[in-house]
Amino acid sequence: MNPSLKLFLVLIVALEATFTSHLYVNLVIIACALAALLYHRIGWRRLSWLVVITLVPAAALFVTIVFFSPAHNVHFAWVLVTRLYVYVLTGATVSCTTSALQLVQSLEQNCHLPSKFAYGILAALNLLPRIHQEVRIIRVAGQMRGITLHWWSPRLYFKAILVASQWADQLAQAMESHGFVEGQSRTYAHRIPLASRDWLTFAVLVVALQALMIALP
Amino acid sequence: MKKGFHLRDIILLALIGIIFGVIYFAAAFVYNGLTLLLTPVGYGPLANDITMGIWCMAGPLAGFMFRLPGASFLGEFLGATVEMFLGDQWGAANLISGVVQGAGTEIGFTLTGYRIYNWLTVVLVTVATTIVTFAWDWFRNGYSQFAVHMLVVMIIVRFVSIFLFAGVLNKLIINMLTRAHVIRR
Repeated sequence: MNPSLKLFLVLIVALEATFTSHLYVNLVIIACALAALLYHRIGWRRLSWLVVITLVPAAALFVTIVFFSPAHNVHFAWVLVTRLYVYVLTGATVSCTTSALQLVQSLEQNCHLPSKFAYGILAALNLLPRIHQEVRIIRVAGQMRGITLHWWSPRLYFKAILVASQWADQLAQAMESHGFVEGQSRTYAHRIPLASRDWLTFAVLVVALQALMIALP
Repeated sequence: MKKGFHLRDIILLALIGIIFGVIYFAAAFVYNGLTLLLTPVGYGPLANDITMGIWCMAGPLAGFMFRLPGASFLGEFLGATVEMFLGDQWGAANLISGVVQGAGTEIGFTLTGYRIYNWLTVVLVTVATTIVTFAWDWFRNGYSQFAVHMLVVMIIVRFVSIFLFAGVLNKLIINMLTRAHVIRR
């Protein structure tokens, strides 16, 4: 399926799940998302991590509503637990099957996202390992002078932002000197197709979701 | 140069999102640990409020740095987008939280007419973000079922958390950046 349509579908599902409380609809969505993830051969380690880490907030909501709220509404507690899994598993169907590059390219070509945003975000994402490294360097440099920089120290953020500001300048200059012009029309080396089949799948799934909402309790 | 966001600003906003993402990644255990600690006493969801300010830091910082309409929203939203790509558990749902938190912080700056950038702005941003994110969580986490005294505690804790992290900590960073002449006045 086209990455942009997949993203919009997941956002629609998440919004509908937030403003409704249908336990069985949530369970059906979870089953579909799991099936999609298994079909795309998600690693077992990743899947079990997603399930286990979500247990923490899910258990907190469940315990609070069942034992500590005035109404002790067990049904509603299950709705909330399944809702969290709807968010996490449908979200994973996008993030585990689509790379950042594919999604951004699709948003640019199919949804007319301005190219400065598309390439700006990609440029920044590619610096991720260097940012990790830089934060580590700043901390070690602090320790050498006997200063521990915690995650709540403004100095740590200040130093990292200084470096980021320099990198942003250099990257933008480099991109512009290689011919990147904001707002200019571009040609694409990799086309992301948006076929009528994608639209059909999208429409069928959205209609099916509404039908489920009406049909199931 | 005409006003608006250019390639350099967008890269910088996304980089700031990544920096916050990288630094809080170490703090993520705080959320899970607090949730596990508070659940047996019935205050598990309070962990979300205690850490709320941390997740809302990128927006106000961008708003103070760029001083343009939309900067705060864009900063928070790009931060959330980056977090989605970094592969945390919430995936695409991050985008929705990004929109909600971004709208909250942006409203704070809108209230000042994008002219005042001092402690008053910090307070307004805190109030707006608290209200908007709480309203969203009301639906998302089913707060209608919670006891009233608990909701009062949660909203106060959320306000304090947003004030300390997204307000005070950000203001300290901004003060340092201003002294270093990184921020154009």
